Amino acid sequence: MEGFDKLIEYLPSLLEGALVTLEVAFASLAIAIVLGLITASVKLSRSRAGRFVAEVYTTVVRGVPELVLMLLIFFGGQIQVNNIGAYFEWDYIDVDAFTAGVLTIGFIYGAYLGETFRGAFLAVPVGLLEAGYAYGMSGLQVFFRILVPQMMRHALPGLGNNWLVLMKTTALVSVIGLHDLVLKAGQAGGTTRLPFIFYLFVAFAFLVFTTISIWGLKWLEKRYSVGVRRA
Amino acid sequence: MVLAEQETGSAVAAAALIAEDIHKSFGDLEVLKGVSLTAREGDVIAMLGSSGSGKSTFLRCLNLLERPNAGRIIVAGEELRLKPAKHGGGLEAEDREQIRRIRARLAMVFQSFNLWSHMTVLQNVIEAPIHVLKRPKAEAIAYAGEILQKVGLYDRRDYYPAHLSGGQQQRVAIARALAMDPAVLLFDEPTSALDPELVGEVLRVIRRLAEEGRTMIVVTHEMGFAREVSCETVFLHEGRVEEQGPPEQVFTNPRSARFRQFLEGNLK
Repeated sequence: MEGFDKLIEYLPSLLEGALVTLEVAFASLAIAIVLGLITASVKLSRSRAGRFVAEVYTTVVRGVPELVLMLLIFFGGQIQVNNIGAYFEWDYIDVDAFTAGVLTIGFIYGAYLGETFRGAFLAVPVGLLEAGYAYGMSGLQVFFRILVPQMMRHALPGLGNNWLVLMKTTALVSVIGLHDLVLKAGQAGGTTRLPFIFYLFVAFAFLVFTTISIWGLKWLEKRYSVGVRRA
Repeated sequence: MVLAEQETGSAVAAAALIAEDIHKSFGDLEVLKGVSLTAREGDVIAMLGSSGSGKSTFLRCLNLLERPNAGRIIVAGEELRLKPAKHGGGLEAEDREQIRRIRARLAMVFQSFNLWSHMTVLQNVIEAPIHVLKRPKAEAIAYAGEILQKVGLYDRRDYYPAHLSGGQQQRVAIARALAMDPAVLLFDEPTSALDPELVGEVLRVIRRLAEEGRTMIVVTHEMGFAREVSCETVFLHEGRVEEQGPPEQVFTNPRSARFRQFLEGNLK
């Protein structure tokens, strides 16, 4: 079968693309988790100004298409960075597609995770946090040693969902020219005139990633349910 | 500091905790209308009162889980420095380091245990000694072992709280408090969330601590316990100290009519 031979021929290039896709996905996830934790904490804080900023952030991100945001950050970000750079007399800074893509996806999913984490934070009994404070723990210690491990169990189903959608969103980075799996497959499909075969491979690759993720999430859910008795 | 130095030479036991004129309001509701209390070293003070009398709120003001509106708190001779809170609603600690240090000296046992459910019994007990008192891990584990022996739960050290009975959970919570070597133990209705048949095991542990000479403030509904174990009984009513004195005096010869009513209600 000719198509299969071609697929083998282009496999190294496709795997390179797949690696980029995974890099984008994990880097975006890291940013999204940090932004999500901050957003959730700020939304539950007493600071009125902070809550307002967080509210604007989640409203804007959840209301604007992801592709549009990505193009805005890629093109707009490039201009803005160099406007600022010119002021400080930096050299020309090139906002590469990887950075722009990761920042955009992290920024978008930070807003979604903010809502997921906010709900999960609220599910943790206040008494457990009070016990931490009553024993002299600092706010950060209570946050990382009690609140986060406690809320993870409640956050994981939502976090898992967002991770799957985030991974699929990485396909958008091909639009701004990043050589991810989708772009590589598109190029190969164009050259060989076998687009169906190559996009089928892409679909299959994503299915593998997401299936492995689902196993991983099940394992995590089990881990974070330690000490919980099922009714 | 000055207080501690003054007391050192004297035969009088040093004050482990002094609370002076504590006021607390929730909105328009004044819950504490100036409550003072002194616990000398080795004192066991039982605080009684009907629900809403402010006894739990008072206890929670001592370690600033609630922000008092006015008052002074002195723990082992060190006065807690307070300032008006930024967002209103009472006083907060001026110095974060100081409040953390003082909280670590005032270990609290809660009505609903509040054990960290994602940690085992042993992890619960060593958590604050390691991360707050900065004890070496091996040392903390060894000490936790001793304490868990004392509350009779050494063989359950690797269990998670959810797999223990309420009485066992509360004994773990007491072990967690003891692991801090606190100056004062604060008990906030330690048996109120327990099934009646589990109350005894927890009270036995608290009684043993009293015999060891630990300084304790126990907010409780257990009349018999207050009467037998405390060296001073305080009855709060509507945010004020209504009756106060050695249990043999207040229980047999109460001056306050309200306390008499309260006792009768409880002596059904």
